[in-house]
Amino acid sequence: MSEKGISTLGREGLILRLKEAQSKFGYVPQEVMAELAQSLEIPINEVYGVASFYSFLSTRPLGRNVIRICRSLPCYLKGAQTVIEAVEKELGIKPGETTPDGRFSFQLANCIGLCDQAPAMLINQDAHVELTPEKITQILRMYK
Amino acid sequence: MENKVNLTLNGRAVSARQGMTILEVARENGIDIPTLCYLEDFSPMGACRLCVVEVEGSRTLVGSCHTPVTEGMVVHTHSPKVLAARKILVELLLASHPDSCLVCDKANICELRRIAADLEVGLPRFHARKHYYPVEDENPHIIRDMSKCILCRRCVIACKSAGNGSMFSVAYRGFESKVVFGCDQLVDEAAVCPDFDGCIALCPSGALRKPVKIGEERAEKALIIKG
Ligand code: SF4
Ligand code: SF4
Ligand code: FES
Repeated sequence: MSEKGISTLGREGLILRLKEAQSKFGYVPQEVMAELAQSLEIPINEVYGVASFYSFLSTRPLGRNVIRICRSLPCYLKGAQTVIEAVEKELGIKPGETTPDGRFSFQLANCIGLCDQAPAMLINQDAHVELTPEKITQILRMYK
Repeated sequence: MENKVNLTLNGRAVSARQGMTILEVARENGIDIPTLCYLEDFSPMGACRLCVVEVEGSRTLVGSCHTPVTEGMVVHTHSPKVLAARKILVELLLASHPDSCLVCDKANICELRRIAADLEVGLPRFHARKHYYPVEDENPHIIRDMSKCILCRRCVIACKSAGNGSMFSVAYRGFESKVVFGCDQLVDEAAVCPDFDGCIALCPSGALRKPVKIGEERAEKALIIKG
């Protein structure tokens, strides 16, 4: 343990274990954060601070499939807004929301590294690129 | 014998001990550089940027609270460029700050307000979305109003160093950043700390304050705001 109360390994271990929880439960439940805090001997607010910082970790339950559309400049210039609107229309939800049947959560993300094929989005781990509003219906159909 | 460093501070030759920051040297020489996140005796956070100064030969302004002095350095702490930058920084802090000095419990001792007045910031030019968080006033020892928090992180550091773990952490990211208690819960009656006064005294804004009962004297001395 360092004097700050967190060993380097502890912090590294923290992110790894948060990621594990995320893939196991689809989000990081509060009980898991409490357990982590206890086993790493750090305050729970510290765990929450880390968990809430990363956009690929969620502190609230998400839908079965998570859509992340890039809202950074290159995608924006290539018409990401029309894609965002198409998703909104198709699912009837706004960014930050989850469909009532729990099938999709919809989020906006910062650059996902696919600028050369903008506009782009991720659904779960899959990249979908060179999007147009027309493509959306078909793509979403692939996710149950 | 410690190594001496010679530098020029606002046109005056001064000498300092090796390892001192520009801010420390300036303060030792009676020059007032405004700071909002700096805490003596703790490692600098460099969060607020208010302490920026001009160092000749440097492409950008540098944070004086975390930049050590070097031999031959030529520093300007109040050049027009510096003052303009500081003024904008405060304007940006105020852009998402509630316009409530008039009824703010800490207005008499608010460092943010004093610095804004000192820099002659004037009426707001920028308007950003404001944060509205509920006032957390359930606890008998502390009131938190995160709408007024400027994210200086002083309370986080102070709490950590009080030695009983830390109650506060910065959570979320970007504009959504917030100092949270627990898993972003309200500081309730049950929250206990042997030294709430520590962080309250260090908070430069009205975000943390002490509940004052009617009729009770206020302990703090009022800040004098230059007219
Ligand atoms: S915290 Fe300071 S700047 Fe903010 S409303 Fe209170 S007195 Fe004004
Ligand atoms: S609550 Fe006060 S001390 Fe803590 S980060 Fe906010 S402004 Fe700074
Ligand atoms: S006082 Fe130097 S960055 Fe805040």
